[in-house]
Amino acid sequence: MPDEKPVPSMSSAGTVFHIQRFSIHDGPGIRTTVFLQGCALSCFWCHNPEGSTTHPVLQFYADRCTACGACVQACPHHAHEFRDDVHLFHRERCVTEGACVESCFSQALLLTGRSMTVAEVMAEVLQDTAFYERSGGGVTLSGGEPSLSSAFSGELLAQCKARGIHTAVETCGEAPWASLADLLPVTDLVMMDIKHMVPDRHRAATGKANDRILDNARRLAGTGKPIVFRTPVVPTVNDTEEQIADIAAFIRTLIDQRNGSAAPPADRAHIRYELLTFHRLASDKYRSLGREYRAATLEPLPKSRMQELADVAAHLGVDTAIR
Amino acid sequence: MSTALVQELSFRERIAMLRATKMRHTEEKWREIGSLDMDDLPIMLPPPEMRKIVRIVSGSGIVISDALFSNFIPTSNHPSGGFFGARACGENFRALLDIHPPYVDPVSSLAGGYMASFLAYRDPAWNPDCDYAHLHAEQNLYKLHHGIGAVQHFCQDMTIGFRLGWNGLLDQIHRYRGVQRDDEAQELYDGLEQCVLGIQNWIERHAAAARTMAREEMRPELRKNLFELAEMNAALVTRPPVTFREACQWMLWYQLAAKMYNMSGSLGRIDQFLYPYFVADKERGILTDEEALFHLACYFIMDTSYTQLGGPDAEGNDTTNPLSFLVLEAAHLLKIPVNVGVSVGAHTDRRLLRRGVEILFEDKTGIPKFLGVDRTSEGFARNGYPIALGRERTYSGCHWCAIPGREYTVNDCVKINLPVLFDTALRDMMSDPALEKNTTVLWARFTHHLRRAVDVIAQSLDFHMDHMFQVYPELMLDLLCHGPIERGRDASHGGVEFYNLCVDAAGLATTADSFAAVEQRVDRERKITWVQLRQELDADWAGPAGERTRLMMKQIPRYGSGSSRADDYGKMIAGLFTTSVKAKPTPHGFNMIPGIFSWAANIVMGKDVGATPNGRHAQSPISHGPNPDPGFRKDAAPTALAITVAGIQPGYGNTAPMQIELDPGLSKNNEDIDKIVDLIITHFDLGGTQINMNILDKKAILEAHKDPSKYPDLVVRVTGFSAFFASLSPEMRQIVVDRIIAEG
Ligand code: SF4
Ligand code: SF4
Repeated sequence: MPDEKPVPSMSSAGTVFHIQRFSIHDGPGIRTTVFLQGCALSCFWCHNPEGSTTHPVLQFYADRCTACGACVQACPHHAHEFRDDVHLFHRERCVTEGACVESCFSQALLLTGRSMTVAEVMAEVLQDTAFYERSGGGVTLSGGEPSLSSAFSGELLAQCKARGIHTAVETCGEAPWASLADLLPVTDLVMMDIKHMVPDRHRAATGKANDRILDNARRLAGTGKPIVFRTPVVPTVNDTEEQIADIAAFIRTLIDQRNGSAAPPADRAHIRYELLTFHRLASDKYRSLGREYRAATLEPLPKSRMQELADVAAHLGVDTAIR
Repeated sequence: MSTALVQELSFRERIAMLRATKMRHTEEKWREIGSLDMDDLPIMLPPPEMRKIVRIVSGSGIVISDALFSNFIPTSNHPSGGFFGARACGENFRALLDIHPPYVDPVSSLAGGYMASFLAYRDPAWNPDCDYAHLHAEQNLYKLHHGIGAVQHFCQDMTIGFRLGWNGLLDQIHRYRGVQRDDEAQELYDGLEQCVLGIQNWIERHAAAARTMAREEMRPELRKNLFELAEMNAALVTRPPVTFREACQWMLWYQLAAKMYNMSGSLGRIDQFLYPYFVADKERGILTDEEALFHLACYFIMDTSYTQLGGPDAEGNDTTNPLSFLVLEAAHLLKIPVNVGVSVGAHTDRRLLRRGVEILFEDKTGIPKFLGVDRTSEGFARNGYPIALGRERTYSGCHWCAIPGREYTVNDCVKINLPVLFDTALRDMMSDPALEKNTTVLWARFTHHLRRAVDVIAQSLDFHMDHMFQVYPELMLDLLCHGPIERGRDASHGGVEFYNLCVDAAGLATTADSFAAVEQRVDRERKITWVQLRQELDADWAGPAGERTRLMMKQIPRYGSGSSRADDYGKMIAGLFTTSVKAKPTPHGFNMIPGIFSWAANIVMGKDVGATPNGRHAQSPISHGPNPDPGFRKDAAPTALAITVAGIQPGYGNTAPMQIELDPGLSKNNEDIDKIVDLIITHFDLGGTQINMNILDKKAILEAHKDPSKYPDLVVRVTGFSAFFASLSPEMRQIVVDRIIAEG
């Protein structure tokens, strides 16, 4: 028998909170981005707060509620109540098994995520094959943090690779190196966030210090994989020239390290940098989760300011783009 | 008077002035006659002292105001008070041209403008002697837009006019008068002759007006321009055009007259038929690109008719040329609704497409649109024609193509309202005690009614083809078609070579979602009974319980979500419709071609349908074209939309255009533009036929919806056409707003 490649399994399940087709800002070409639930950081400005917990939670959009009362009947745990015509949701009683969601036809009650097998996700992903082929696109795993569900992520990426689909992983970097490394053989592009270079500041903003992230960044650079480092530029966190220069200087050392390690100079292009524009469009989501949105009062940066910051990074010899 | 040297006006400044004048005219129209819900026609109001405001039924079936000349009353030749037949139409049209004042803008390189729509003077429009009472019952049952009395919606061959000029056309009429001696031919020649004489007189008066204005004009470059206009137009009264500018001017005369006669809005491939003039003038050193751009802009200010850029020649080679790019740039310069379509096919020039996408994002006017030329020409060949003929078929109307000068089509005039058929089928099933109540039975009844509706359409089309020439012949289009003069027959009555009559279906998503909703909620889940559903529909989901039921019916995997039951139904309905239309020709043997398109008529067609099981309220608009309803997927993925619409194409050369709204933020750099380009190409790879793409600035649209007058410049692509947002009715504006709200 000629050596046959093992057919990757499709049976693992992951908790997926969104699948975005025609995703065009998450890697090359036209892509499908699969968002996995669960993240190790808790950045206060997070655009996807529904993805932060490892398990689905109930979202309640009060403005969509038509007060039909069906959820009150449906919930065995009495988490829904009408008092003086006001719909009260007692989140502390909710065990998130979703009976009320089934009964609500107004989209006022939703579960953040649902368990899907690799096969189910692939069925969705494969619909856009013609678009990936035409545009050089593919699939991006995002989150949350894909390396937290490494078995599922690995299988999904392997399935894509087996079909010749380009793969990318977006990671916050806060993960054991082994679980990131596991994904690399089936990943064509890694997109990793670096949010701050100062450990305390990083902790204040994200809940964790940055030592493991920076360490992972160095190891990743050592592998020769194409990388896009990304910084969500958030006012009060990292929107100064010095802070961006700090990060860019770090990236520059990784580029030099890689070039120095006998890689041809052209390989420089395999490490790029993107500044992500902060927006504060997530307030509805925070409200639906009963969480405070601390970034709600921050002013988004104008394009011109983003350009100034991008120029700072570019001056340090880092290929930089704004998203 | 000051003799100080004045800075000469540049072309760009002159274009800005022309645009300002156009905006003034447009805003005056909004004030005087209100919303339009149709293509932005550059028609101007008659001068106040000759103006009379009347109420008429608009193209989308809504009663609107219109401005008429108070000093023109057509001469009737019938006891009903109407005027019918080629002779009466020609004579009256000439009389209208005779009182139509000349319009010369000293800033423009072309003379002419129009203030009248001859159609508005027809009362009654239909000759009561041509009675089709035998068809009324079923036409009304199905609320068919049956096409009897449809005008224009096919395309002339401009090169006939370029070759002959007005005198040449007269000669042609005189020559064949001696050949075709029957009464029908003689009457047609009378009508055609009156048109030409009226136009010649009209042009002559413009030449005279330009000369008078020139004598009084102080700015030297405009004075020179006016003298040129006088001289050029004095010559064009008789002889064919020779230069690029003359060709533009000749084309404008023809188009203005054709628009006035019956709103004909087809231009076709101007980058091809103007090209020889462009090349010759450039070789002689009498034309620069900048001047050509200026002439084109002056043209589009006065006529925004449908135009195809690039596309295959008979052998399939791409015809994109430098003029194709200039036409695109002219539309870009003006930022008014110029109906330009860019061809996209295996051999077409990606640079033209790319430039089109750039302009689309920069201008946000929904212009250009994109044409799947390979798919439409291959599809046309499936009717039994050579593919070369399919390639000759040219984009020249909202969602349609026609072979210039050789094909009669009634494109976009015939619509089958699928939700009405669904509702008829449901009532059938409910009222017949012998029938079981389930979705399979419903589908069988729907099939029956759809086939019957197609039969009624076929009979109606035959009736139209028998009688239209006696009512309102296509005099202006006849002039520039191959055959009508030679044969002595109107284009609607055997004058041209090919007859491919359009039959469109409308309301696909409404119907597919309704089938899937009853199958899931009534048959499978038994959440509601058929009787209860019928009651809810009749009550239009009244009360809180009704609203909850409505939301339940709406909350199913919808058409467009991909591999849902509603998607299956979408394909099944499109397939059933296509095979029903293609099953046989009309009883008189005319080929029919299926398409899926509602135009802006989805509002008026919605008024004919009560509540539907997809959660739609009674009388609200039915779904647009072949598109899913807004909110069809959480991610609103354009790729899902593109796959859906590509998957329901009838495939015989007529289109089912995809309408797609994108956020301006999508395109942040060159890479993003390329991704949009790839989205477009892939839709056509998958079988799509046309794309109407809108870049909608959410904030601007929402603010403009509150007070349109604050945003007079805002242009949106409504459907196959783009229009000023402020010119739309509140209902149509709401449809545009719903699209962006749903896109999130
Ligand atoms: S089921 Fe939905 S709409 Fe009804 S009361 Fe509960 S949240 Fe509101
Ligand atoms: S998810 Fe379950 S426990 Fe939570 S509110 Fe809904 S029904 Fe009650």
